[in-house]
Amino acid sequence: MVSAIKQVPDPQGPNPSDAPVDSAPGAHPPHPVTPAKAADTSHKPGAHPVPEHTDAFGAGLARLPFQIRIWRRRALIVAVRVGRLVRTGLDRFFPGIRYLLHSLQRRWRRSLQFRTVLTTLLLSISSFAIVGAYLSNQIANNLFQERLTQAESETRYNVKQVQDTFDGAQVTDQSSVITLVYDTLNAVEGRGSVIQRRYVFEAMPEQTKPRNRWVESRASDQLTVSVIPPELRAAVQDSGKEQFWASTEFPVGTEDRPGIAVGNKVTFNGTVYELYLIYDLNTAQQTLDEIQNVLWAGGAALILMIGGIAWYVTRNVVSPVSHAAVVSEKLAAGQLQERMVVKGEDEMARLGASFNHMAASLQEQITQLATLSQMQQRFVSDVSHELRTPLTTVRMAAEVLFDARHDFDPINKRSAELLYNQVERFQSLLADLLEISRFDAGVAMLDAEATDIVQLVSHVMEGAAPVAEEYGSGMTLNAPEGSVVVEMDARRIDRILRNLVLNALEHGEGRPVNISVASNETAVAVTVRDHGIGMSPAEAARVFDRFWRADPARARTTGGSGLGLSIATEDTKLHNGWLQAWGNTGVGSNFRLTLPLKQGGTITKSPLQLEPADVSLHGHGDHTVLVLGSTPAGAMDAAGEAEAAVGTEAAVGTDAAVGTDAVRLPGGAGASKAAGTGERS
Amino acid sequence: MKARILVVDDDEALAEMIGIVLRNDGFEPVFCADGGQAIEVFRSSKPDLVLLDLMLPGTDGIEVCRQIRSESDVPIVMLTAKSDTSDVVRGLESGADDYVPKPFKPAELVARVRARLRPGDQKAPETLRIADITIDVAGHLVSRGDERISLTPLEFDLLVALARKPWQVFTRELLLEQVWGYRHAADTRLVNVHVQRLRSKIERDPEAPEVVLTVRGVGYKAGS
Repeated sequence: MVSAIKQVPDPQGPNPSDAPVDSAPGAHPPHPVTPAKAADTSHKPGAHPVPEHTDAFGAGLARLPFQIRIWRRRALIVAVRVGRLVRTGLDRFFPGIRYLLHSLQRRWRRSLQFRTVLTTLLLSISSFAIVGAYLSNQIANNLFQERLTQAESETRYNVKQVQDTFDGAQVTDQSSVITLVYDTLNAVEGRGSVIQRRYVFEAMPEQTKPRNRWVESRASDQLTVSVIPPELRAAVQDSGKEQFWASTEFPVGTEDRPGIAVGNKVTFNGTVYELYLIYDLNTAQQTLDEIQNVLWAGGAALILMIGGIAWYVTRNVVSPVSHAAVVSEKLAAGQLQERMVVKGEDEMARLGASFNHMAASLQEQITQLATLSQMQQRFVSDVSHELRTPLTTVRMAAEVLFDARHDFDPINKRSAELLYNQVERFQSLLADLLEISRFDAGVAMLDAEATDIVQLVSHVMEGAAPVAEEYGSGMTLNAPEGSVVVEMDARRIDRILRNLVLNALEHGEGRPVNISVASNETAVAVTVRDHGIGMSPAEAARVFDRFWRADPARARTTGGSGLGLSIATEDTKLHNGWLQAWGNTGVGSNFRLTLPLKQGGTITKSPLQLEPADVSLHGHGDHTVLVLGSTPAGAMDAAGEAEAAVGTEAAVGTDAAVGTDAVRLPGGAGASKAAGTGERS
Repeated sequence: MKARILVVDDDEALAEMIGIVLRNDGFEPVFCADGGQAIEVFRSSKPDLVLLDLMLPGTDGIEVCRQIRSESDVPIVMLTAKSDTSDVVRGLESGADDYVPKPFKPAELVARVRARLRPGDQKAPETLRIADITIDVAGHLVSRGDERISLTPLEFDLLVALARKPWQVFTRELLLEQVWGYRHAADTRLVNVHVQRLRSKIERDPEAPEVVLTVRGVGYKAGS
């Protein structure tokens, strides 16, 4: 039946407040008028719901659910309005806000410092909020408790005083009684100009005994009994002589002030009265407000300072890191002389020092390698040049002897011939070596010009005609397009093609060599196909290696240096082209050169197939046409007409090759393989 | 009479071999192994042509070339081991008419020598005009008004070749064939360098040529 009446002080609400003013008048020696129980509960009425407090419910608490409802509704309305405002604002300033959000996000992602400072700020704000709430709560509680304790003991004392005065009164007439009661009650208000406590004096209702009819009720100022919470009244009325308290609000002038009402009973002339003393909490509330203001201000300052400190500290840590990032990017870009600035002896300085150490050793090694490579290339170049002068002498001497060989005896004659031929070979080897060293040194330059590659191919074939005649091989040209203008270095492409054609003739075993030219939107391709001994896929893979020979035992009749295809590869690379080989032992081989039509262009696919379409055909000797056309057009016509069959096959092959530059195995034999250069990427 | 050829080369074996080849082809070789003495030997021997190695101890070939050119129009053919470097251009710019890259064949060397000597270059009396330039072909004289312009035989041949067909645009390859006597395509830098040298002598303003015009992408032609 005893509902917990104790009032939990609410620091935010209007209820807990007390003026320490009361402590001044000195009217509060603890006089426990109320039973002993009251004394001990009065110590911690907030903490323990002691039975003596009954349902004197604080006005604030009573109104709390209602207030909460109102505030919730208001908050909802405000939230909806704010949401609408934010949405329209977003619509209007959307690009700006999005940009802002985007840049914040970007900074969050990219800046360690920004992230650290922001995190620190958020964490310190939340921890400060927690600490602040705790402090504020604690202070409010203590203030209220102190005031409550004071109020209870003062009430006890004052009630006892009043009761003693009433008990010892010897008055019977009306005016004396009234005067006595009023004087006694007025004394409760305290001395001095400031009212220390207010009272409400009310006769208990429904008293059966004969009663004092002259005094019914009395209160300080304009107070009425309505300021006393009904729960408190009920508790006081129902009990014996215990003392109860509750929070309340009472009007002073025009404002409502928070206060504590402490109630008890007094008896006068057999009539039981309720006496409530009301203590003002306004001053306590003001103190609390001030403390809270201080807390707010302090918190804001602290957070600003924490933000500044975090910014400063992270800047100190991060700036060397970003400096290191900048320096290492520069290093990576090839500025090997870049170093970090090293200050002090801390971790960053150690990092900087070891970074610099690393950079220095990198630079040293790279420089050393570059120097070595340069020296080596220079050496090759120098050797080649130095060899030229004696070689010139030897060559001239050999030629003089060679020219005079008819006057020699057979032995000397043969020697002169050998000498002459080998000197020629030596010379071409030297020339190739020098060319390779130029590629290695990276000094080879592309001198590209728009040139008709079909005409170039015809020239090459013209030049190779004597060799073809020597081997007894025919050469055919299949160029359905007649003329393909390509941006290329004619000298280098001429060298590549001459090399391919001479190779094909050399390994063609007297069978015809078919040359095809075709183009698509981005590229032009030239294939040189022979039907000779061919080569295995493994050999095809190595055919572009320097000094590599398909068959070391084979006579090196044409005196190739073994560098021809390597040089061709380098020349092709210079054009951003592809040079690939296909081979099948006994069937022959096919070399394909693919070049972009425009310099700087890329090849998506070659217009011609690497693996020849006629791979399974035999009896190549049937369509042998020796093209020695005086004009390129004539040569082409001859090729086109006589080699209609081959041309068709080539065309079919072109179509079939769409998107499938990959190797196709003839008859599933697995005997063919493409070896590519330049196509690796 | 045998044409006298001064061979300036520090490599004795090569010089001797060149000598053998030249003698074999009916020339009279004179030798000099030191760049520093080359100009004196040149003055004393009065050769019809100079074969000059670009890399010489002492005074280098370029300097020797410049010295000779400063006092004579005699044809100079360079011997060079580094045909790909700027040495060739520097040699041509310093006054050489042609070059032979090492290692060369005897026939190649002799062909270049003969092309420069042009035996029996008997020219019919003929007067050509380009712009304000007058060319007396037989008298080997070039003049602007009364002012005589001194040209080397090669520059003269180049100018005459252009002047004889003022309506024709000459490609570099065609000029190499007609003026230098190359049958096959050769180094077109020869043409570029010598056109520059020619312009520096006959043009009023070499930057804005009026006599020898450039046809972009094709070659050169005579001015009107």
